[in-house]
Amino acid sequence: MQNIIDVQKLRKEFKSFSSRSGLKGAFRDLFTRNYTIKTAVDDISFTIKKGEMVGYIGENGAGKSTSIKMLTGILTPTDGKVVVNGMNPHKEREKFVKTIGVVFGQRSQLWWDIAVQESFRLLKKIYNVPDQQYEVHMKDVIETLDIGPLLDKPVRKLSLGQRMRCELAAALIHNPPLLFLDEPTIGLDVLVKLKIREFLKRINEKYGTTILLTTHDLSDIEALCERVVMLDEGKIIYDGPLKELRENWAEGKQIQFQFSEAAALEELQILTKEHLVVWEKGESDLIWVASVDSDETVISGVIGKVTAAKKIADLKILEISTEEIIRNIYVEGAVRHG
Amino acid sequence: MDYISIFFQYVGQYLKTRLTYRADMVVEIFSDLLFQAVNLVFILVVFGHTSLLAGWSKDEMIFIYGFFLVPFSIFASFFNIWDFTDRYIVKGEMDRILTRPVHSLFQIVLERMELESLFGVITGLVVMFYAGSNLGLEVSWYDPFIFILLVIGGALVYAGIFISLATIGFWSDSRTDIMPMMYNIGNYGRYPVDIYNKVIKYVLTWILPFAFVGVYPSSYFLRREEWYTYAFLTPVVGLVFFLIAVTLWNVGVTKYRGAGN
Repeated sequence: MQNIIDVQKLRKEFKSFSSRSGLKGAFRDLFTRNYTIKTAVDDISFTIKKGEMVGYIGENGAGKSTSIKMLTGILTPTDGKVVVNGMNPHKEREKFVKTIGVVFGQRSQLWWDIAVQESFRLLKKIYNVPDQQYEVHMKDVIETLDIGPLLDKPVRKLSLGQRMRCELAAALIHNPPLLFLDEPTIGLDVLVKLKIREFLKRINEKYGTTILLTTHDLSDIEALCERVVMLDEGKIIYDGPLKELRENWAEGKQIQFQFSEAAALEELQILTKEHLVVWEKGESDLIWVASVDSDETVISGVIGKVTAAKKIADLKILEISTEEIIRNIYVEGAVRHG
Repeated sequence: MDYISIFFQYVGQYLKTRLTYRADMVVEIFSDLLFQAVNLVFILVVFGHTSLLAGWSKDEMIFIYGFFLVPFSIFASFFNIWDFTDRYIVKGEMDRILTRPVHSLFQIVLERMELESLFGVITGLVVMFYAGSNLGLEVSWYDPFIFILLVIGGALVYAGIFISLATIGFWSDSRTDIMPMMYNIGNYGRYPVDIYNKVIKYVLTWILPFAFVGVYPSSYFLRREEWYTYAFLTPVVGLVFFLIAVTLWNVGVTKYRGAGN
């Protein structure tokens, strides 16, 4: 399989001017300036093959947006090699962007004042898409995203969910082999999110579209991506299957007890002193969560001791969520490999 | 060519949007006309006190003003880039522009055009015909072609200067008041340069060549032969300044830092 994206030692530095404090400082700034160099993306390397759906995650300021902007030709790298769709994105920008689709969740591709279909027509012209290809392909996209009834409304009258579906359709007018999605589901309700995920899966299967997705909503990644690339402070700290990440980190289980009368921490600790348990208080005095190792004797032992001593109204065993795993990774700052 | 058909697609879309906001369009044309009338009154007031200004008569001055309006209106219709830094750099709209397969400057021209300003071309022509018939100017068959050439040159001078200034935004996105100041300096080009001192004349000819938008090209039609060299330099100066501006722009795009997030 060929590499759609090939990034080697990619680096981006921003030079920024830091002002001195006070009036005296301001005068000094007029003559000599203090520059600080901030490395937003620090020598990252990875490759993505055709047809992959990759989740690109990281906290705010981890370098996600900056690296995506270099991959799409918006920013010029300070150093390193980027080859996307066999081209250098910045050098051959106009030819290159014909082969990608981009959706920035916080920025619109559509014209505010004109009807959605007029926006599509302008984009069709800009991308120089032949009539026949447009008809067949867009009919399918419009149907799957269920935006037929919105086409003659101006964008400013659409709700966020409606607009986002139209944005997605707009990014696919030229049926690009590679799609960049930056926070495509930000602020959307569950139904719209599901619809968008379903659609992305479909175009990935039907056209073999490669998708690179950044999001804060890890359920998007769980639903779509088998592989994740995780960034922290401009460096890649994990690149591999999502499953492996879960297996190596989600070692423990949580048992949630809801008691019929209030319980105290010491009381519970004494009850389960034979096992390694971390107790945490839930939403009220009645709800307590015990974090334990994923070991059957420990789990049944803890449940047995607690239920024998106290009346309980409800009991749940929870797996640690991906979100918590990611949070743990950031707290520890590195990824354990199994 | 593709760019031409994209251009007409945008113009069509623009007209469609504008026609749904008819009242806005009428107000805009009216305020343009009012602005042009005020400038004309200013010339008339000056000549209420004197009949000649450095050897130029009232009707000649009015003619120059009329000519100036034509390239200026074309510039104002297509190169609304005075708020480029705010609109595209600070707000990060440049990101969107750069993900489309059309030259970024051309896209901005298309997005920001204001075709109402083309009304100024008509005003300019009317003013020129009025002043020209007072002066008894002769028109030969090739003059309209020369007129078009000189108008394009003048519009390119304006575009070149303002695009170059807009590119500053790629290096620094701090606020500057340079754009409104430049609009003021631009107005000096519609009076004969020999009424100014030497330094200003030099600046208006070679550094900020606004004189090539008004007085130099008009002198050809006013049959002022001492200025003919300058008149015919108009398209050359326009082309040179425009090419410099586009080069600066292309370099600037590689320095684009993007907005946060």
